[in-house]
Amino acid sequence: MAPAKSSKNVARTGKDLRSFFGGAGGDIIHKATTKSDRTMMVDSDDISPKKSLKRKNIVISSDEEDNSVALPSPKKKVAVAAKSAPKVVSPASTSKVAASKAVASALTSKTTAPKVVALASTSKATTSASKAKTNGKAPVKSKKSKDGEFAVDSYEDEAEESEDNCEDAKPPAKPFNWAAAKAARLAGPSAPGSKQVPEAKSPNCLEGLAFVFTGELNSFSRDEATDLAKRFGGRVVGQPSSKTSFVVLGDNAGPAKLKAIKKHQLKTLSEDEFLHLIATRQGPGEPGGEVLDEKTKKKIEKEQATIKQAARELERREKQASKEADKSNRSKTDVSNQLWTTRYAPQSLKDICGNKGQVEKLRQWLHDWSDSLKCGFKKPGKHATNVYRAMMITGPPGIGKTTSAHLCAKLEGFTPIELNASDARNKKLLESAMNINNLSLDGWMGGNDATNAAGVRITDKTCLIMDEVDGMSAGDRGGVGALNALIKKTKIPIICIANDRGAQKLKPLVANTFSLPFKRPEAQAVRSRIMTIAYKENMKLPANVVDQLVAGSQSDIRQVLNMLSTWRLSGSSMDFDEAKNLTKINEKYTILTPFDVTNKILSPYAFGPNVRETLGDKMELYFHDHSFVPLFIQENYLKTQPVKVRNLEGPPKMLKQLELMDQAASSISDADLVDALIHGPEQHWSLMPLHAVCSMVRPASFLFGPGGGYGGQNPMTFPQWLGHNSKQNKLNRQLGDVQVRMRLKVSGDKHEIRQSYIPALFPHVIKPLIDVGAAAVDEVIERMDEYYLSREDWDTVVELGVDAQKDDIVNKLIKPATKTLFTKRYNSTDHPIPFHKATDLGKAPKKLSGPAPDLDDVFDLDDQVVDASDDEKGKVKDEDELAADKLFRARKPKTRKTTTVKGRKTRDFM
Amino acid sequence: MSLWVDKFRPKTLDDLHYHQSLSTRLKSLAASADFPHMLFYGPSGAGKKTRISCTLRQLFGSGVEKLKIDQRVFISPSKRKLEINIVQSNFHIEITPSEAGNYDRVVIQDLLKEIAQTQQVDLNAKHRFKVVVINEADSLSRDAQAALRRTMEKYMSNMRIILCANSTSKLIAPIKSRCLLMRVAAPNPKEMQIVLEHVAKKLKFDLPEEASQQIAEDSGGNMRKALLVFEALKMQSPDLSGSLKIAKPDWETYCHKVADLIVQEQSPARVLEVRAKLYELLTHCIPPTIILKTIAEQVVERVDEAIKADVMHWAAFYETRMRLGNKKIYHLEAWVVKVMSLYKHFMYNFDMADYE
Repeated sequence: MAPAKSSKNVARTGKDLRSFFGGAGGDIIHKATTKSDRTMMVDSDDISPKKSLKRKNIVISSDEEDNSVALPSPKKKVAVAAKSAPKVVSPASTSKVAASKAVASALTSKTTAPKVVALASTSKATTSASKAKTNGKAPVKSKKSKDGEFAVDSYEDEAEESEDNCEDAKPPAKPFNWAAAKAARLAGPSAPGSKQVPEAKSPNCLEGLAFVFTGELNSFSRDEATDLAKRFGGRVVGQPSSKTSFVVLGDNAGPAKLKAIKKHQLKTLSEDEFLHLIATRQGPGEPGGEVLDEKTKKKIEKEQATIKQAARELERREKQASKEADKSNRSKTDVSNQLWTTRYAPQSLKDICGNKGQVEKLRQWLHDWSDSLKCGFKKPGKHATNVYRAMMITGPPGIGKTTSAHLCAKLEGFTPIELNASDARNKKLLESAMNINNLSLDGWMGGNDATNAAGVRITDKTCLIMDEVDGMSAGDRGGVGALNALIKKTKIPIICIANDRGAQKLKPLVANTFSLPFKRPEAQAVRSRIMTIAYKENMKLPANVVDQLVAGSQSDIRQVLNMLSTWRLSGSSMDFDEAKNLTKINEKYTILTPFDVTNKILSPYAFGPNVRETLGDKMELYFHDHSFVPLFIQENYLKTQPVKVRNLEGPPKMLKQLELMDQAASSISDADLVDALIHGPEQHWSLMPLHAVCSMVRPASFLFGPGGGYGGQNPMTFPQWLGHNSKQNKLNRQLGDVQVRMRLKVSGDKHEIRQSYIPALFPHVIKPLIDVGAAAVDEVIERMDEYYLSREDWDTVVELGVDAQKDDIVNKLIKPATKTLFTKRYNSTDHPIPFHKATDLGKAPKKLSGPAPDLDDVFDLDDQVVDASDDEKGKVKDEDELAADKLFRARKPKTRKTTTVKGRKTRDFM
Repeated sequence: MSLWVDKFRPKTLDDLHYHQSLSTRLKSLAASADFPHMLFYGPSGAGKKTRISCTLRQLFGSGVEKLKIDQRVFISPSKRKLEINIVQSNFHIEITPSEAGNYDRVVIQDLLKEIAQTQQVDLNAKHRFKVVVINEADSLSRDAQAALRRTMEKYMSNMRIILCANSTSKLIAPIKSRCLLMRVAAPNPKEMQIVLEHVAKKLKFDLPEEASQQIAEDSGGNMRKALLVFEALKMQSPDLSGSLKIAKPDWETYCHKVADLIVQEQSPARVLEVRAKLYELLTHCIPPTIILKTIAEQVVERVDEAIKADVMHWAAFYETRMRLGNKKIYHLEAWVVKVMSLYKHFMYNFDMADYE
């Protein structure tokens, strides 16, 4: 910001300077230039670039010597000096320094601008010319542009520092050159990052304006542009409407937005015009600025009044509290020692920001509690909440869930008992320590007429607030279940608070609690509250700064307050950039889901010259979920309409797209090789960044574009690879089983079985069932026995088919009657078994039961009885299948024996 | 009633129809006192397993035909249970270590040591050693192969190893140098016809010359495939005369469809369609290499001469990557996209040339 700041001074003082110099100024400048000429002439025979650099320094220093009193920055001196320079310098125009002056003069003198620019661009001295300016990075090449308009753009960028009154001077516009425009479009943004943000005329110069940004800007990324608008007090809206003041149009604007512009006849701005607006518009309320209409003026005044009023109220409340504390001789808590979050915690319902409806529901429910308890939770009440004995508040952190619960309880005269994650909340404790008939002693202690801070009479009613329910973790074994049981019979209201409504842990509570989701409050809802607090703390916070803080912390009011209280220690005002930095520092690191990551990296604005995210930032996305993101990319990379082919039509477009796809696919293939190294025997985990690039960044960089998002025409999907892989493993295992069974007859391995035998067996073991039906069953079974195939293996053979032999098709073709007969017939006959699988044999038999010598053994046997009957239950289904199996027969005596033992056992006890 | 291919499998070295010189060599090796470690390699369906079992019979007599299957459970270092099926007779044991996936080293170490350290108990056995047949030796991991090295030398007195592989390229040199390499080449069509006629004679029917020729050509040197096809054909048209239409296996026709899809249209949507089909093939246990090979051959048939070489080049390129990588579908898809891009570019340039 340093150059901008200095140029700010230039802008402000430019006019005064000129008037100050009026006649005499010319003299000083004359002196300056002649002196520089003199120094220049000394080494004019030396033309090496190194020397010229030195020379430049000399020039500037000589300037400083001369008029360091009047002029705060050397740059302006050059500019101002140059204004009257041409005449003086002309004799030395062959020298480089002189050329640089000529350029400078071109920048300042308005009427001759295009001509002189042309001259400067032809002169060889452009390098030293740019050096002569303090902001030397301004592009030289833009001056060389063939388009007259471009020259003027850069002229505006650089010249507005010293000249405010030249804005209306534009060269006559050339007829629009379509071919050139198309070429420019194909070439991409003309000057990424080259344009400087002009110094605003006033800090709130865009106040009261609503902007819509669409398309790709020449030099700024979308984020930067919206930030600019916000910084100067403008509002940024997503969709154009009749209330929109300006639409900033970039290249490739969305057709829907263009239509809306036409419909509402909105004013459009180009990027340069937008910058120009910032540089020239006077903010409302300042001299020369736009005059506000009465309505908005009143509105603003009213807002400020309420803020002051609320601040006074806070002040009053604090005083009263301290007075009371004095009166009751309680240990006085100094408010200035308190955290802001407790100090400025809402004291009444209207203090709560956002979620008003939900808070009202909660309050009403507590209000009706005694009635609903009396009627046994039968009457639903106004919000249908009164049939529940508990509420479940869910929502992100810092939006006032706990505060609202406490406040509502207090307002309705309940004494809140809070249990949070810092308390042990396991099953035992909840059952024993929680008294659901809890009565508070507070009502007794203070006498009947004591009131709490909110002015509500203290009663003996209590209310249980279970905070951070989703934090009931390993230590709180059975806690959720016990809480659920508690809720079912409680006589006091229970308010549960959690962050994540969908958490698996909270499933049991869902049915028994009324769900009360809290949303993040809108910036507007928080703004006045924060501004009130800031006012009370003597901080100067403009509205757009507050908005930035709220937006940056994702409406986390607690965080905003904490940030402000820290900031207050060092300063009493904050500007937009500071707010932005502060939120950036305090940014919460959230883990994105792979869906979000994919959406982000494949989005149309993920790559391109105006994107400020570095490669590192993009790679960071991969590490949000490094195992899933590559799968998601592979699944979805073909679903976009690549930005890179947007400007092509017809066959070349498809060719280019195929080329891009090829590059992306081969990069994904590379990534798999890297992955094999990472997960291989040597585990090169250090290759993960490379994997990130190959698997995600690179493919996305080819094919990023619209269409792949959530609602696009090719919606993003969960990777199919996982499902297919597990199916492949399953079928592979089953195929292995088949191969082993066939092994005694067949020499081939698994692949041979699949590729040759299964197609060959198909006409023998499956086709007859389709063609002939029931009559073929015996023949099929005979054939299966030949290869030791079991009934399950038959299913596997069917399942392994593809194309016309796919299992769905085959299963449809076989009549159900044939299939049942086939199953029945197979199970009712004996079949050769090549071997027993280890798993088929079951567990090794336990100790054989002899006569029971002591009680321990009896219990053992009792256990076994249960086991056996369980087994029996489980086997009933399989019974017919196993009827022919010797294994099952072997089991029978065991069950009989155990039952007899049971009988004996009961006799023993009698 | 077994399929013909299993029913008429030769049992002794004398019954074999082709590679006579190999048979005589095996016979003399079996007769000699020091039988070496051996490595049988060749394409599938050439008769490796048949020759191995014939050799074993030659070594030990008909006792080796009494097979039983055992299931052994091994514990991997990460405490996972690995079930390995072992086919064995009194004189030999046959394992497929690739069943254990990455843990094949455990199987090799435990099992081979156990066998190697016990002597033949049967006093009537012709030889003092047992034979271990290792199937799918080319899918043995490097670790497992290393584990095999020393065992092969150290326990030579108690054990001989016969490796069976499709190609030797994946075997490390130390293993190859410890074995007598036995290449079992695919039979040529003539030899296959002889076998087919032999089967026909056994079954007492006449096999027309053209039919046997057609079968032999179709099977591409895979004797197993030829016999299975032969039987299927016989079922279709009992007299085997006239024009025969050899039915392709399900997966092969499916691969042809994929090739059609690639050639018909080249677009992202089509790639997704092809991807679904490739997944289908992969999940149904068709090895990715076979898929790529079959599709590539079909694509090459359908495209212009000028890009045939490129299509095959990239198929080979991505086939290598497939072996090195984990997720086969990535490489298959990359190849598909590459071919589409090539084809489209070719067609477009072709079009333009036509107009100009």
